[in-house]
Amino acid sequence: MKTIMLSAVAAALLHITPTVILVKRQDAVSHLLPGADQFAAREVHVSSADSRRIHDAVGWEPPDGMITFYIGKRQDQVTGALMFMRVDCQHGPLELAVGFDSRGTVRGVEVTKATVEMKPWVLEALRAGLTDAYRGLAVDQPPAGAEKVKPKIGAMPGYMAELIDKGVMHANAAYRLFYVRR
Amino acid sequence: MLYDLRHSDLRVRWLVTLLLATLGTSYLFGAWMVALYAGFSPHKVADTYGPAGEAMMAMQMPPETTVVTERPVSMAEMGEEMHHVDKDLLVQDTHVHMPMYAVIAAGLSLIVLGLPLSRSMGLAIIALLFAAPWLDFAGMWLTKLASPRFAIVTLAGGWAMALGYTIVAVIATYQMWWRKS
Repeated sequence: MKTIMLSAVAAALLHITPTVILVKRQDAVSHLLPGADQFAAREVHVSSADSRRIHDAVGWEPPDGMITFYIGKRQDQVTGALMFMRVDCQHGPLELAVGFDSRGTVRGVEVTKATVEMKPWVLEALRAGLTDAYRGLAVDQPPAGAEKVKPKIGAMPGYMAELIDKGVMHANAAYRLFYVRR
Repeated sequence: MLYDLRHSDLRVRWLVTLLLATLGTSYLFGAWMVALYAGFSPHKVADTYGPAGEAMMAMQMPPETTVVTERPVSMAEMGEEMHHVDKDLLVQDTHVHMPMYAVIAAGLSLIVLGLPLSRSMGLAIIALLFAAPWLDFAGMWLTKLASPRFAIVTLAGGWAMALGYTIVAVIATYQMWWRKS
């Protein structure tokens, strides 16, 4: 009986808390593709060789071999692109929206989803100005947002900042390797 | 019968009844969640757990060369998120849910041990309680790795879970509160 009770407690503690929306996807699209009035989804079905290439570059592979870029256009001119990127950790998933401008640099990053447990940590990192560090970042530059905000925030928000850095790094690699490829 | 729930202390019967009621409520919400995120038809389950479910062109194997397609989308389509469970998320789901399913199956099995059932019936119900989560997750993994046709296994697992719970809840409630002798 004691074992069963301990197992129940362990299972309850291990359970990931529910997901909460921090920014609606549509709002993230409006912020990161400003002025766009037409949109397209560019779906990249990545070959095994290219999956290995991105894995060797940043230690990440597109889930199920698929990357989707949402492209914003105004009067048929591309104004930028955006991708939603999931980052997993033992506390659950985070979802980022990473926007790129037409020159191919990062326009902005929004954290669209977190879990109930992670939300206060993420908000603390965001309040410390985490996403400011990504604006204008070239896609071949390593993101260093966490390094900038860590002295001002707690340990768990610092860990969230590291995860967000990682998500931006993955998005940058995906953009660099697959966005312009036709 | 290792012990007899029918003649157990009132507090034990109350505990078992509340446990069953709480589990039943969580199962109802579980079914609601399945309806929201995965659906009850094999096609919808295959879309959720199959390879590249977010794309209309499902590819079982990675292409030999990277393939790019482009299609117009509306703002609303970008906002809509189709719930798709990729391999990494399924690893996490399996890790998180299997222990909890095991604890629930064990809890219900402990109730079965206290009911006046034949040995073979007890074994069959306990097997059903543990088979359900195995079928559920085996179906998800087979749908992802082998063929979307295995979505039916996940559905079978879900229904088996509901059936196992209903059998235990009905027999236990009846035996504990109505058929005492």
